Amino acid sequence: MAGLVLTGIGKSFGPVEVLRGIDLDVADGEFVVFVGPSGCGKSTLLRVIAGLEEVTSGTIRIDGQDVTTERAAERGLAMVFQSYALYPHMSVYRNIAFALENMRLPREEIEARVRRAATMLRLTEYLDRKPGALSGGQRQRVAIGRAVVRDPKIFLFDEPLSNLDAELRVATRKELASLHAEIGGTMIYVTHDQVEAMTLANRIVVLNKGRIEQVGTPLELYNRPANLFVAGFIGSPRMNFIRGQVGAGGKLVTPDGKVSLPLPPGTVATGEVTLGIRPEHVAPCSAAEADARIAVELVEQLGSESYLYGTLADGTALTLRSPLEDPARRGEDVPVRFDPARLHLFDAAGLAIRP
Amino acid sequence: MSETGSPPRAFPRDSLASRLIQAVAGLADRPMAWIQRAVGGRGMAYVFLAPNILFFGLFVFLPIGINMAMSLTGGTNLFLSERPFIGGDHYRSLMQCGSYLDPASCREDHFWKGVSNTLKFTIVQMVAMVGTALVTALVLNRKIRGRGFFRAVYFFPVLLSPVVVALIWKWILQRDGLLNGAITLAGGEKILFFVEPGWAMFWAVFVSVWAHMGFYTLILLAGLQAIPADLYEAAEMDGTKPMRVLTRITLPLLWPNLVVVLVLVLIKAVQTFDEVFVLTGGGPGTATLMVVQYIYETAFANQVQNFGLAAAASMMLGTLLFALTMLQLWIARRKAA
Repeated sequence: MAGLVLTGIGKSFGPVEVLRGIDLDVADGEFVVFVGPSGCGKSTLLRVIAGLEEVTSGTIRIDGQDVTTERAAERGLAMVFQSYALYPHMSVYRNIAFALENMRLPREEIEARVRRAATMLRLTEYLDRKPGALSGGQRQRVAIGRAVVRDPKIFLFDEPLSNLDAELRVATRKELASLHAEIGGTMIYVTHDQVEAMTLANRIVVLNKGRIEQVGTPLELYNRPANLFVAGFIGSPRMNFIRGQVGAGGKLVTPDGKVSLPLPPGTVATGEVTLGIRPEHVAPCSAAEADARIAVELVEQLGSESYLYGTLADGTALTLRSPLEDPARRGEDVPVRFDPARLHLFDAAGLAIRP
Repeated sequence: MSETGSPPRAFPRDSLASRLIQAVAGLADRPMAWIQRAVGGRGMAYVFLAPNILFFGLFVFLPIGINMAMSLTGGTNLFLSERPFIGGDHYRSLMQCGSYLDPASCREDHFWKGVSNTLKFTIVQMVAMVGTALVTALVLNRKIRGRGFFRAVYFFPVLLSPVVVALIWKWILQRDGLLNGAITLAGGEKILFFVEPGWAMFWAVFVSVWAHMGFYTLILLAGLQAIPADLYEAAEMDGTKPMRVLTRITLPLLWPNLVVVLVLVLIKAVQTFDEVFVLTGGGPGTATLMVVQYIYETAFANQVQNFGLAAAASMMLGTLLFALTMLQLWIARRKAA
């Protein structure tokens, strides 16, 4: 297993700049997830690390060794593709053994390694089948087996769960987490699903428009987002944002002056700012305790909790989570309270203002 | 097109054209209704199929039947009613051989020379055609500069008539043709390509490959493009050497297309006539005489027009082609399944 250091990675396709100035250190044995919206460059970054794309600028070091100009095969990495990329004409056994045969390992060792991986991934009884005769989850496990068997320096996963249904995705996510715990390898995982990112990662790298927005543990990103993009991207439903000016008395006042809200305790700000609060940190309350009132437009009842979608007096959309089964009805005017410890503040450039 | 900006319409509902079409279509309404009443709803399918079946029968099945009957009759008369029935005599004389490996020992030595030439031509041409088409498809499937241009260039000869192809190459290969011009310019001696049997057969195969390769390249290229790119990326990550990628990934996945191409090339090679006939006339001597040319000459070009013998030979060739076509259909169906 090995660590990875990316320095100043840039990648352009003709005039289109896909990656810009990417600096990142991945420690040995770490599970790092690249997350971001479609087109943010996360898959390209993974392919650059894999050696399937050449960098335009910057260097890639694996285990301290510069591999920037080395071919994919020479980097000693293994990749699990979104489409699984299993060879359809080969049996599961041959699929898993293929890379080992390329390495010209002795037949007995190949067999031993394949059987070990198959046992670990519960594939033993399918070794003679072709990929076409397997379910999506089984194919996914074969793809993982193909990577595991090579004992690579780093595992790369390119949205490996996106072709699975919701239930299987959760199950496979758990299997991946336990696989990482079991073999302890360095893993880099690309997804656009922030739940996958939050549940699997030791650290998450949030990418946007080819740049890294923030790197941190899942809870760091959730609790201390560096900017508006990360704040909006991490968390579901997304964080509420209320734009306004810092007015007299250190409160945020919306442009039309109809809503006035407290700022996070201890923050010092002036001018145009954006206040952020997650739906789970807004709660219905009595009129006396209320920071604001929302006109409810939609109620989603999920059983264990409910989401209220509405607007503040100035028309800003606001979502809140309530533990109650039936907290309000459409059209009601509900007084709400913001948890002051959970308020986030961002300046006009979108960067977080910390106390 | 309307000038007022309303959306264009082929035939406005009340236009003269529309009313005319309705009137004409109306003419068919009544007879179709009668037929439907007579044959029932299910029978209508056959009514609609009938014209095509009629034409197909008239121009395909009827000639096959006449040909079969012709092969069992003798004499030189064209009309069946005036030809005496001789049973399988033509087949017997076609099959009458001292040794099937020596055409000269056969009663119909030209037929067997044709069979032997067609066999040689087919084997060599199949290997050359499939090999060249495969290599061309593999090259054209790579991200090379001017790929679209080269794809068009290699396909272009397919659009030419076989006679045009043969004439072009005849001008190039004849005694004072372009190629001999180039050879003498380079200080070499003229080669009489159509006088030396080996050269004549070589050019027959070459021209045929040149003319048809584009079509088979297209089929193979389509097959190559259907192989997902990420399989190659997975192979690259697995450290697979290029030759192993070709033999272990590309060729196995291209195999169904390759088999289709092989069988199509085989069928076409067995039928070869026009290109070789115009290029070499079957010569020198009978060095490039193919079975189809033998049939043509026996029936129409020789002084004594032996329709019966030609019909018997064409029945034998037809049976072989039918078997090959069935093989091709079977493979295609298996591929689809």
